[in-house]
Amino acid sequence: MSSDEEGAGGSRLHSDDGTTGRDLAGLGIALALFALAALIWWDASGYPVRRSYAQFGPEIFPYIVAAGLAVFGLLTVRLALLSEFPPREEMSWPPVLWIVSAIAAEILLLRIGAGFILASGTLFGFAARGMGRRPVWLTILVGIVVSALLYTLFRHGLGLSLRAGPPERLIDGLFRR
Amino acid sequence: MDTFSLLLNGLSVAFEPMNLMFAFIGVVLGTAVGVMPGIGPALTVALLLPVSLSFGATGSLIMFAGIYYGGMYGGAISSILLNTPGETASIMTAVEGNKMARDGRGGKALGAAAIGSFFGGSFATLGLAVVAPFMVMVALSFGPAEYFALMVLSFMTVSAAFGGSIIRGLTALFLGLAIGLVGIDKLTGQARMAFGVAELRDNISIAIVAVGLFAVGETLYIASQKHNVIDKVEAIKGSVWLTWQDLKRCIRPYIRGTLLGFSFGPLPTGGAEIPTFLSYSTERKTAKGVAKEEFEGPKGAIEGVAGPEAANNASAAGTLIPLLTLGLPTSATAAIMLAGFQQYGLQPGPLLFTNNPDIVWGLVASLFIANLMLVVLNLPFVGIWVKLLMIPRPWLYAGILTFATLGIVGAEGSVFALVLLLAFGVIGFVMRRFGYPLAPVLVGTILGPLAEEQLRRGLMINRGDWTFLFTSPIALTIYAIAIAAVLGPVIWRAMQPKGKNTVFAMDGD
Repeated sequence: MSSDEEGAGGSRLHSDDGTTGRDLAGLGIALALFALAALIWWDASGYPVRRSYAQFGPEIFPYIVAAGLAVFGLLTVRLALLSEFPPREEMSWPPVLWIVSAIAAEILLLRIGAGFILASGTLFGFAARGMGRRPVWLTILVGIVVSALLYTLFRHGLGLSLRAGPPERLIDGLFRR
Repeated sequence: MDTFSLLLNGLSVAFEPMNLMFAFIGVVLGTAVGVMPGIGPALTVALLLPVSLSFGATGSLIMFAGIYYGGMYGGAISSILLNTPGETASIMTAVEGNKMARDGRGGKALGAAAIGSFFGGSFATLGLAVVAPFMVMVALSFGPAEYFALMVLSFMTVSAAFGGSIIRGLTALFLGLAIGLVGIDKLTGQARMAFGVAELRDNISIAIVAVGLFAVGETLYIASQKHNVIDKVEAIKGSVWLTWQDLKRCIRPYIRGTLLGFSFGPLPTGGAEIPTFLSYSTERKTAKGVAKEEFEGPKGAIEGVAGPEAANNASAAGTLIPLLTLGLPTSATAAIMLAGFQQYGLQPGPLLFTNNPDIVWGLVASLFIANLMLVVLNLPFVGIWVKLLMIPRPWLYAGILTFATLGIVGAEGSVFALVLLLAFGVIGFVMRRFGYPLAPVLVGTILGPLAEEQLRRGLMINRGDWTFLFTSPIALTIYAIAIAAVLGPVIWRAMQPKGKNTVFAMDGD
């Protein structure tokens, strides 16, 4: 579901205008709701049939939810056609993209095994840059320092398990003695 | 045991040094986030959900309640000095409070707010201790039909009370119900909406949903705004200590506000918004002499701060009644606290009172202590909180995001959790931008699986006969309340004043 949701969210963002009579972005939301409803319905229809006292198995609730989503999808189409969404301010894209790529960068760095401190420091740096602080190398540096402190506090203070890479092993080594 | 001895027992739990510390951390954090516009107690509790797993059940719940109460205190500070309420609960405080601050009586407004919060919070907590056992007795007689009706009530009212439109509220609710479907079905072991992904088979953790929607979504929303209005922070002028004269003017508003807040808090009408408004309009209508002049002129009346502040803290205590006795959240923060209980395998409801009296009464008792701590933190040390308003936003939001991902990575241990977090962040952002309320998503995600369980259990007992849902008089009464609660806000909204300068932290408190 998540990947579908994400894709839907992305497409909603791209069709963002909403200045004329019809709200195209609103129609995008309706489309995403229909897609989600169809996905749930399709998933539920694939469950093996069981006979029980209840006469209803695990599929009954998904069907209800899918039906509800479809109904509200239709009502959303109506909202969009009548332009009944609240007015939206003009949107500034760069900060949003910086922050999305901040989280994406953390995911990537964790996946390649860079460890929590570098990954989270990059996230911090990108996010601060997105909110208007520059230069980005400085914000990342601040982020790495903050993350190193957080790592030490949460890993060795509270026992939270955080991904370790080369820098983390250095800190862990200090604590071993 | 009667309530009194249970409460004494609870006090001994609450006075354990560790629990005192958790209460302290909670109220400090709560006040801090209450002060900062755009960050509310719901977001903070969500951020701490994953991290708090190592704190133990009693400790983290005490901390969460402290954050909830603290948020109500802190919200008053930004309302008064900045005219930008930190959350919906403090909107009415800003009206008279900011006028007073501009008139050079900011200190008095802050003092009246802090004492009002203490008054409302303490007496309503006392009310909570008295009323809760009766609610438990009623709730013990509930079967699947009644519980299902209660959840429908919660669904309807949460969707209708938050945000601007019932259609958008219910859409958000169904999105939450859809998220709640993901994972292994409890009754049959059928994997639903998992698509072969191992992480999806074990349900989507509520922490990811909450942190994604609130923390990431909110950050994206704030970042996307082109025109960032920088509000003027009024310096605190005058003493925060009230004179006898002031107290005499405040005492009636305190009592009325507490009564309003406590009676509306447990109703599923979305927390503190309605009681604070009613309290404000009552004070305005009954004002005489000097007070009437101050209400109408630019000076600002102390009654208009005192009443709503007592009301919002009283409603926070009132909200805990249905949460603890029935497992029904009536505000966003309460919904996340419910997730906090579930995280420890605890299901709030009548059985919690019999099985875990230590936790319940320890929590209730710690609320009194939290209130005491808060009034100390907010009267002499109010200057420190004002400094928080000066933190540069890039560092603040970068810090929030760092903390959000730290919690998720640490608790879930998988990178896939971060992918989900990003997805929910984008969804939350789109929802905020298009005026969808976020609280119903959470309530749907948390209560959806419980409602499904009650529905299917009822169907099983009644051999697939749906009519069992509508034969119990209690259940029918609850449905009637649900319908009234959906129509109520429509009328309520029609009479609300327009054009207030507000940052709605999260459509609810």
